[in-house]
Amino acid sequence: MKPTASDQSLNIVILGAGKGGSALIELLTRCKGIRILGVADNSPDAPGLQLARYHYIPTTTDAAWLVSRDDTNLIIDVTGDPAIPELITRHKSPKTEVLGGTAARLIWSLIQAEHEMYEHLAHAEKLSTLGIFTAGIAHEFNNPLHGIMGFAQHLQGETDPAIINEFSREIITLTKRLSEMTKGLNLYARTGQMPEMTDVQIPQLLDEAIKMAAFSTMLDEVTVVRNYAPVPGMQANPSELHQVFVNLVINAVQAMNARGRLTLSTGVEGGYLTVTIQDTGPGIAPQDLARVFAPFFTTKERGAGTGLGLYIVQTIIKKYGGLIEPISQPGNGTTFRIQFPLANAA
Amino acid sequence: MALWPFGVHDRENPSLGVVLVVDDEESIRKISRLTLTKAGYEVVEAENGEKAIEVLNTGENPLTVDVILCDIRMPKINGVEAIHYFRTQYPSVQVIVQTGFPDLNLATSLLKQGIVDYLVKPVEKEKLLAAVAKAVEQRTICNT
Repeated sequence: MKPTASDQSLNIVILGAGKGGSALIELLTRCKGIRILGVADNSPDAPGLQLARYHYIPTTTDAAWLVSRDDTNLIIDVTGDPAIPELITRHKSPKTEVLGGTAARLIWSLIQAEHEMYEHLAHAEKLSTLGIFTAGIAHEFNNPLHGIMGFAQHLQGETDPAIINEFSREIITLTKRLSEMTKGLNLYARTGQMPEMTDVQIPQLLDEAIKMAAFSTMLDEVTVVRNYAPVPGMQANPSELHQVFVNLVINAVQAMNARGRLTLSTGVEGGYLTVTIQDTGPGIAPQDLARVFAPFFTTKERGAGTGLGLYIVQTIIKKYGGLIEPISQPGNGTTFRIQFPLANAA
Repeated sequence: MALWPFGVHDRENPSLGVVLVVDDEESIRKISRLTLTKAGYEVVEAENGEKAIEVLNTGENPLTVDVILCDIRMPKINGVEAIHYFRTQYPSVQVIVQTGFPDLNLATSLLKQGIVDYLVKPVEKEKLLAAVAKAVEQRTICNT
């Protein structure tokens, strides 16, 4: 559950759960000292209402009921509906303030600008990571290409139908392998501009992340252990969660210098879907543990990391109402433990 | 044992040389085997660096292997480690690298260690045969 707000926290009600309301929820849930008491929208399918549920924020289609709460400090109206100001005046408690009209539009513009900047940052981080994949991508593509060309060269002039059949089958298998890799790369390189919320299967995304990480290193020398307990599907943007897992898996593999054991687990514990990514690397120094999620924090060599990977990982996880914590002792490896509220379950 | 060389050769039809093909991918080994046996070489296979070292050390006469065609990225002992071993333990055995990694620094460093060629996959069969022929020639020079 979300931590209970202190007495000093600002209690806010949001009217309108379209693009503006969603961006507002995303931003305000990242801010300390702000508690969203509820979100209302005429349409029960408004994207912001789904987002609010991830964070255990009450949602309603009855704006008047929400407005009439007397513990609200501020009502933010981003509906754009000309009838709403009058409804607010009629139902709100006298001490509740209202942010609407032009002021709300201004806030919406600022938030939109912030959101776009974050999207660019997340995408730039992805592209910078893509750089470490290039040699591995070339390798992974060149192997099947070698096979395809080799079998094709041996097919030339071949008359034995059995051999022709066998080699054609080999070529088809190798071509399918290439096509699978292209799909994996596409999932990673896609921008966050498409907020496709679909039913995603976490174990499947973890497997995709391992495939992607194999491009970055000689993963052959890492033993991958999968402890996937059955977990429900989750409503999320697959591209975002893929970015989370790719980042964590690559960090783990790099920490182990590409030699060791990588353990990926999923499970359900007390209302949470949990994911853990554990490595057998040297661990994180205690003084660094608290800072790993800070933007631009990196222990990698200059030019080797942007310092944005874990910051973006945490931002995405928080967006889905989740938590991530590193557990590490020097010499004993590192475990990143993620919890998503089961309210996200598809 | 799967170590018995592929390709049938006898006194009337002598082998052009013995090539040890080291690659973790079965389909890649198969292609190299096809290309080399058709051209008249005998082929032995190993799926990683560790197995390759085993083949060299446990053969009746390790020096029957003339050329090693070696991948770089493999489990257990990788290509770089294996090649270092081959070059120090069996300097007269010629090594050709056949890899998916177009890595100039690695190529330079391995060429300095005395490998015959650094081939980047996909490799056409003519190119492979030219490299192996060159390697066998150098092996002969080493032995005389």
